[in-house]
Amino acid sequence: MQKTVALCLVAFALATGMCRATAAPLDAAAERYRPYMIEGIGSALTGARELRERIAANDLAGAKKAWLSARAGWERSEVFTAGFVPELDALIDAWPNADSGFHAIEAKLFGAGKTDVDDDADALVKNLDGLNGKLRDMPLTPQGLLDGTARLAYEVGESKADGGESRISGTSLDDMRNNVAGIEFAYRTIFADALKAADAKLDQSVTARIEQLKTIVAAPDLPHVDVRALRQASEELLVALQAASVKLGLHQPTLEAQSR
Amino acid sequence: MRLARFAVAAVTLGLLIAALHDRVMAFPVEGDQTALPANTELNEDALTRPREVFRSELTGRKSYLVNLGNLAFSSPSIMGGVARQANVSCGTCHVNGAGNAKFFMPKMSTRPGNFDTTGPLFNPKADNSLLDPVRIPSLRGARYLAPYGADGRMASLHDFVRNVIVNEFAGSEPSPVIVDAIVAYLQDIDFLPNPSLGPTGQLVGKVSESERRGEALFAKPFPHDPGMSCAGCHVPSGAFVDHKQHDVGSGGLFKTPTLRNADFNAPYFHDGRFDTYDQVVAHFDSVFALGLTAQDKKDLVAYLTAVGDGILPYEHDGAGASLKEINDFATVLDTAIAAGDKDVVALAVDTIGGELRELTEQYPDRKNTSVSGGEQQRSNARAALKQVVLLLRRVDIAVGEGRTADAATDYRNYRYLMAAAVPSLLASAEPWSLFNSSVHDQHYGALRQVMQSKHVSQ
Repeated sequence: MQKTVALCLVAFALATGMCRATAAPLDAAAERYRPYMIEGIGSALTGARELRERIAANDLAGAKKAWLSARAGWERSEVFTAGFVPELDALIDAWPNADSGFHAIEAKLFGAGKTDVDDDADALVKNLDGLNGKLRDMPLTPQGLLDGTARLAYEVGESKADGGESRISGTSLDDMRNNVAGIEFAYRTIFADALKAADAKLDQSVTARIEQLKTIVAAPDLPHVDVRALRQASEELLVALQAASVKLGLHQPTLEAQSR
Repeated sequence: MRLARFAVAAVTLGLLIAALHDRVMAFPVEGDQTALPANTELNEDALTRPREVFRSELTGRKSYLVNLGNLAFSSPSIMGGVARQANVSCGTCHVNGAGNAKFFMPKMSTRPGNFDTTGPLFNPKADNSLLDPVRIPSLRGARYLAPYGADGRMASLHDFVRNVIVNEFAGSEPSPVIVDAIVAYLQDIDFLPNPSLGPTGQLVGKVSESERRGEALFAKPFPHDPGMSCAGCHVPSGAFVDHKQHDVGSGGLFKTPTLRNADFNAPYFHDGRFDTYDQVVAHFDSVFALGLTAQDKKDLVAYLTAVGDGILPYEHDGAGASLKEINDFATVLDTAIAAGDKDVVALAVDTIGGELRELTEQYPDRKNTSVSGGEQQRSNARAALKQVVLLLRRVDIAVGEGRTADAATDYRNYRYLMAAAVPSLLASAEPWSLFNSSVHDQHYGALRQVMQSKHVSQ
């Protein structure tokens, strides 16, 4: 029954403009994303290694700083993590009561104010290292990257009224800024040129929504983020990306990592 | 009319609800990056919600105006400043038009269930520099309960609603139609039916001896002032109110509150100082020197409990209840799209989209470590809800650009998905959703455990 309903949704998506054509020029463009991906995860890994050293030295302030640095690299990379490496993504960014990963460490460092996170930090380094090792040879598809860009754009618009994802460290707004930076880079690097050629007005629309998101998350702190404008811009960006997918000869972007 | 089987059902339900309330694990707002004070308790994760009974549904369907009012009542975007930012709407305090006994906001509440409408947080201009919270009242039967406000300062419900939006919560001046709509919605909310009450407010059916004695005491003149009695102010034939203010020794003049459905409206008195009828009766006994015996007090409490009863006061909060409310809200779009009413469409899309996003979070994503199983079902449910959020956004964009026909097409697609596919996918995912009590408790238990680490260190 559920499969039937899911098929209905797919059929609905087809009926509302999903299209498939060759996207070969985008394959080359997708490759241009790879250095950014390597840089982001590399930065997260460097931060995680520094975190491990600061923990060993029982340096709480230094460990917090290293966590923040590692986190920034990770959040910039979320365009691809959920779709291309879902298992590692779940290990690295699980919440709320994960055994290891960013949020487990966050709770101890920023919550309990303790540095007894040796095992967690080891696991984080190991998982990020494992991910880092995959990046050079990982096949990058334009569709997968469009899916990731769209999903992240939707996620940015989610309510943060409860303090957001990184509420214990108080850095949910930084997560959002890094997410938007990741979205912008992915769009400009992979899709913008092709879309501009196919439909310059639509490209302007996507770019304008990304700029709006950047302006909104530039607020000084989370309580001053205009949450309604944020949600609207997030959803309008998604609608524009849905339209863009047709122009680019891709499927409509999925809204959940495993829902295609 | 008061059937034994109803009594059994009511007791069973009562036990069920008591069990549910024991089980509910509240999760307050947390962190230092929120618009609301840390440790604010909105009780938004409760698995039961007060049941809403609409007068118009007894004979037909709710009107456009009532649905628009319900929508606006649930919309943070008609509020200003902090409330808007924090996703607070009228419905945050008045859940389904009733109260919210667990609501607590540091600096604005002195106990769960009350709130300072003239406090510093939501509109500094309205701050009277006093921490003087008032009980969050149920709005059931509002059309019988003028004047409005705990002190009865406003004769008009229309003026009262506008005052709440503009002055208490710093909202922009609402359009007249929005205020009219909220008033229409409030006036459509009925009391829960109580088969124990006859048309003139007397107890009927199977009435216990204690309840009968309580009823007599309720009408008996006070010993030191024969012109007064409980029933003199709580007039049984008039929804147990007299539309007047009185000083009952609680610190000023306050309007007579209704006793209808009051079993579900604790805490009591204007500031919510009392948790139980026993405390209320003891207060009156003391202030008015009534000389009540222990049995008299028991009898009065039995009477109040019978008067304050109501059928099925709570309903389980599941996907079905959420979708029903969302579908009611969406009916507003039938009219607003055709009329090209940009403001109402924007309000509806914002509010319904927010509700749909909240509903999405009831189906934890695969990174949530407190839930296992049903990953595909949860993913499908989340994807379907996101899909309809985006269809609504397309409606908003199209109406904004004057493309009414496109908006109508997108709205038809929205309705099509909401009619069968979405409910079906949500039902498939329900066992792994936060609507399932064990999943709910695991999830909030895990969150609370993580949050506790912060408080331990501070």
